[in-house]
Amino acid sequence: MDIIFFLLPLALALGGVFVALFLRAASQGQFDDLDDPPQRILEDD
Amino acid sequence: MPAMTEEAPQPPLNSSTACAWCGAQVEGVGVVYCCHGCETAADMVREAGLGRHFERREAPSPRPSGRSAGWEHLPVETAADGDHVAMLRIDGLRCGSCVWLVERVLQGAPGVREVQVSYASGSCALRFDPTQTDLGQLAHRVEDLGYSPRPSDSGVTPDRALLLRLGLASFVAMNVMMSSVSVYLGWWSGMDPRFTSLLQWTNLILATPVALWAAEPFFVAAWAGLRHRVLHMDLPVSVGVAILYGHGVFATFRGEDSYLDSLTMLVALLLGGRLLEQRGRTRAAEAASSLAARAPRSARRVGETGPEDVAPSELRPGDVLEVALGEEIAADGLVTEGEANVGMALLTGESEPRPVRRGDRVVAGGVLLDGGLRVMVEAAGESTLLSRMATGLRSAQAKPTPPSLPDRIAPIFTAATLTVAAATFTLGALTLGVHDTLPRVIAVLVVACPCALALAAPLATAAGLGAAARRGLLFQGGAGLRRLAEVDLVAFDKTGTLTQGEPVVVEADDATLRLAAAVERQSLHPIARGIVAEAVRRGLPIPLAQGVREVPGVGVEGVLDGRLIRVRRGGPGEVIVEGQGRISLRDVIRPDAARTVARLKALGLPVVLLTGDGAEVAARIGAEAGVDEVLAEHDPEAKLAALRRWQAQGRRVLFVGDGVNDGPALSEAHAGVAMGGGAASSVLIADAVIAREGLGPVLAGIFAARAAERAIRGNLTRSLAYNVGAVALAAAGLVNPLVAAVLMPLSSGLVIFGALRVERAVAKEL
Repeated sequence: MDIIFFLLPLALALGGVFVALFLRAASQGQFDDLDDPPQRILEDD
Repeated sequence: MPAMTEEAPQPPLNSSTACAWCGAQVEGVGVVYCCHGCETAADMVREAGLGRHFERREAPSPRPSGRSAGWEHLPVETAADGDHVAMLRIDGLRCGSCVWLVERVLQGAPGVREVQVSYASGSCALRFDPTQTDLGQLAHRVEDLGYSPRPSDSGVTPDRALLLRLGLASFVAMNVMMSSVSVYLGWWSGMDPRFTSLLQWTNLILATPVALWAAEPFFVAAWAGLRHRVLHMDLPVSVGVAILYGHGVFATFRGEDSYLDSLTMLVALLLGGRLLEQRGRTRAAEAASSLAARAPRSARRVGETGPEDVAPSELRPGDVLEVALGEEIAADGLVTEGEANVGMALLTGESEPRPVRRGDRVVAGGVLLDGGLRVMVEAAGESTLLSRMATGLRSAQAKPTPPSLPDRIAPIFTAATLTVAAATFTLGALTLGVHDTLPRVIAVLVVACPCALALAAPLATAAGLGAAARRGLLFQGGAGLRRLAEVDLVAFDKTGTLTQGEPVVVEADDATLRLAAAVERQSLHPIARGIVAEAVRRGLPIPLAQGVREVPGVGVEGVLDGRLIRVRRGGPGEVIVEGQGRISLRDVIRPDAARTVARLKALGLPVVLLTGDGAEVAARIGAEAGVDEVLAEHDPEAKLAALRRWQAQGRRVLFVGDGVNDGPALSEAHAGVAMGGGAASSVLIADAVIAREGLGPVLAGIFAARAAERAIRGNLTRSLAYNVGAVALAAAGLVNPLVAAVLMPLSSGLVIFGALRVERAVAKEL
């Protein structure tokens, strides 16, 4: 069971990468407008 | 627009077709246009290679109605590279294809670097090279397509910090919850102390940024509240977070179980609630304030070298202005030349235009419905009547914001919690000894943290604002929602509020209507607009008369099929087509007015018509709408006096109005609702704005406000009951971290459930 001393930090570090990605995306404003992109997806050019 | 063939005109006319741009019925076969504006718009779209718009649009396009002036007087922002950056608000976007079209047309304009139009908000971000184009030219391109651009504040970027904090807090909360569950399971199955310690330290490390950074807004708000000697919900929340975290650090170092799972979950839930509230509020307030933005104005000053366009603020008394058909008078002054009918609907609430001629006085804000004038300026800029009224309103605007019920409870709550904690400690220390009592005191302070209580109001308020906005009523803030829930009397203004504000044809035969519409088609006069609207409604193809000219003070004439058609505007509400027949028009109540009034009365709210108009008209409109009481011949001061009288009797009045002259009443009343098409100043001052046709949104708003208020009260009862019960358990020593971890989210869940019911309650009532 001692493997948990390695796995727990590893799992948290992986999770941390995704949190960092989210924080980056959010501070770039990717979540500012959630209503328009669905309207735009049908534009074919 | 579907053709209403069953009401086909008599005698049979040439075949009728829908205008290929705006869909109005016109005579002709194949691709036809109702007017030059529509044809230009369609040509522009085809020449730009955007013909696909015609297949993809979901509704006929709006009819172009001329260009606005004065854009060059607007201040523009200059980016670092010399480009100009501007923000427009575009009205009339009806589908995704409209957005696409506007973007493409603007992109195709010379000098435009970047365009982004938002369908949801109608905002348009522009970046262009000022040496090749200017904002006016770009705005005119949009107007030529039939959409209405207005200047807008540069884009408000939503507060991203809250989302960042919520993201981190949610991630941490879920992970801390998982490792805590492992620790709790270890109580029964046994766990190597090394693992327990690992998990406890993991929890502390994860929870630290949540307590110190993500929860910062609560500490900041609580501190600000303390400094201003206002106690609100953020104070007990901050105290709770501080105690939970402090205990967590202490317990982890001693190898004991902590409440860190409850802490992180609580912060995540509270941040989520706050984010929802903020998004709902800013969206509604932004939409409401955009309804108040108007196209810029400019004035044509007659100088020594001929007429020149200037900003209204540059006018000085003594200047001479030239005002043409359809333009707005930019200053107060004296008519020196010309004759015209001036529409003052937004200023005085009167729908009937006022005829003016040489020697008469006109005020800024009036619109020329026919003719043309030269006006000598007597007062300009800030000193015009219009400006003075608007300024007076703004200074009176600061309505005190009543603290919400949870905020009023907060100090009592904190005091009660501290008392119970102190009592637990004293009693426990005497009977059990200090060492055994401390965990109980901690437990009391922990479970007393009013998470559910703090979520109660924001969630229900956001739900109420959202439910109202979806039904066409935009609130400027949560306080307005609270006030609307409390009203017990509703007063309506007449013209433009209870009525449509424009004359509607009540009696005419098709042939007369067709001839009148043919000559009145290009006119801006409200009577002309009423006639054309009725002809379109009946599906009559409207021919285009030749040589149409306004005969000032009399009416309009033009030639159709070789015959001279003279349309005389007779007395109020009567139009005579010479040699053909007459048309009666009246300002009628809005189609949903009677129904709305009846529903308001069914709710037990007396409805009053409060108007400056004469007793006879007011009585007729009042009877049609079915109001309880009619107060006629009330000028703005008398309206204010009536409102004050009611409020002195303890009544809480909702006033619904639209004009500049309604501003004082809107701000004096307990709650004020403005019509979206009304004067900008009334839109800005009201608690809420109706963003669509009709009065139905008022009713929806009252239901939403009441449902939100009920939800807040229900939530308060539930969360207080939870807190009292949990504190009692904690004082008795029955609460440990596991029990707290189950109880806290449970109570918050109850509150969320309560808020979700707001939308359903409103849907059921309507």
